Amino acid sequence: MMRAPYMVIRVATRLTVPVLLLVLWQALAMASGSARMPRPSAVLAAGLALLASGDLLAGLATSLGRVFAGFFLASAVAVPLGIVMGSVRPVERNLDPLVESFRPVAAIAILPLVILWLGTGSIAAVVIVAYAAFFPVLINTIAGVKRIEPNLMRAATTMGVPAITRMRVVLLPAALPSILVGMRIGLGIAWTAIIAAELAVGAKAGSSGGIGQMMFVFYAYSVELNGIVVCMIAVGLVALCLDWVLRAGLTWAVPWSRG
Amino acid sequence: MSEAKIRLEGIGKTFELPGVSLLVVDDLSLEIRAGEFLAIVGPSGCGKTTVLNMLAGLERPSTGTMMLDGRAIEGPGAERGVMFQDYALFPWQTVQGNIGFGLRFGPAGRDLSRSEQDARVARVIELVGLRGSETKYPHQLSGGMRQRVALARLVANEPDILLMDEPLAALDAQTRMILQDELLRIWGQDRPAAARRTVVFITHAIDEAVFLADRVVVLSSHPGRLKRIVDIDLPRPRDDSTRKSAAFAELGQSIWELIRDEAYRATMR
Repeated sequence: MMRAPYMVIRVATRLTVPVLLLVLWQALAMASGSARMPRPSAVLAAGLALLASGDLLAGLATSLGRVFAGFFLASAVAVPLGIVMGSVRPVERNLDPLVESFRPVAAIAILPLVILWLGTGSIAAVVIVAYAAFFPVLINTIAGVKRIEPNLMRAATTMGVPAITRMRVVLLPAALPSILVGMRIGLGIAWTAIIAAELAVGAKAGSSGGIGQMMFVFYAYSVELNGIVVCMIAVGLVALCLDWVLRAGLTWAVPWSRG
Repeated sequence: MSEAKIRLEGIGKTFELPGVSLLVVDDLSLEIRAGEFLAIVGPSGCGKTTVLNMLAGLERPSTGTMMLDGRAIEGPGAERGVMFQDYALFPWQTVQGNIGFGLRFGPAGRDLSRSEQDARVARVIELVGLRGSETKYPHQLSGGMRQRVALARLVANEPDILLMDEPLAALDAQTRMILQDELLRIWGQDRPAAARRTVVFITHAIDEAVFLADRVVVLSSHPGRLKRIVDIDLPRPRDDSTRKSAAFAELGQSIWELIRDEAYRATMR
């Protein structure tokens, strides 16, 4: 009997601040009277329209497809490379300066080169995403391999487990939690990068599709502020969902670290 | 007594650190007999763990020779099982996964079918009293239970020689005594000497060494040198009455007197 009111109170307390902000936003927008000030009510209407037409979901699907393609490409290279760099000192000493000098170069900074080489289509977008996701996965894989408790490898060695098998049955599972954390960060960064890439690519031909390009069209051609805000909210919600799914996946994949 | 299983001759170990070379073990000669329970005690800094690691093949001696059954020890081998001080359990494997690890991925299980491996794991789980915890992960276990898993993993591989590095050090006094009893049972103190495996047991606890071992090797520290080998002629099987006996106390006291001065120096430093 206590349960229902308790739930109501809990939901109400969580929603208080967002609702107050929405009310404040609406009031300020109405008071300003400016056409460049999007209003919550108008954003909601625009969002429903974009959902109904299927444009929003199609744009998100295109972007997500590129993100996953680039993310898997990045992981497929970064995980094996990170394992080698983490376990073979000379390889790490040779490659580390290279990695560290490319790492601060933001994905958006390689965009001009990528467009010149690969054009403005999906391949260019996937490459940018792969570049962005590559570093967090690599860095965390290296760290995970290096942090392995040395006695675990020694224990397997004294049991006569061959070196190649040790990589698979000791090194990989021991580094897995760290690798998955890197993949979670990498996917988040990949999602950020795809929006930036599509926004920038959109300026050129308007043929690349995706949620970022949709925003660009709203901005450059139709000056549709409500549409831009709808896209921003959609981007944020997708990021939230991606992170949620990856967290769940992490807990599922590493049951031994479940507290 | 039986023949030498392992023979150490003039073993020395120097660690080369930046700027210094550190002599940890100096001119250690020792025979370990087949089927004997040998304990190595000494104050901290006597190189006990280094000796064990060299026997395991995880470290190479700087000088001297190590022979096992007449052949030089060149590296790790599955006939020498190791139980590490920190247990070194695989956190992603369950209790049975850990215990069966060497059977699945090492040579110990080469001639066994999967069901034979499972049967052996089940038998060892029974032996160390872990029934009911088969599917738990190490982080879900108490220190005493983790220690049992490590012991069970060692036993499941049925190595010729069991090398144990302070396996009971992290346990409370009661659990420790219970596991000492179990260790002797698993080693086979009720069986004839020929049916026992060879154990090299590192400990800093003198009473533990006296209770378990046939012989206690006493090392001095900085660097580790052989001080004396004490024969423990307490009758087997040993149990709680052994712990209460006057002979037990006397042996412990005599070993303590051998290392007391150095232990004090190490503590006060």
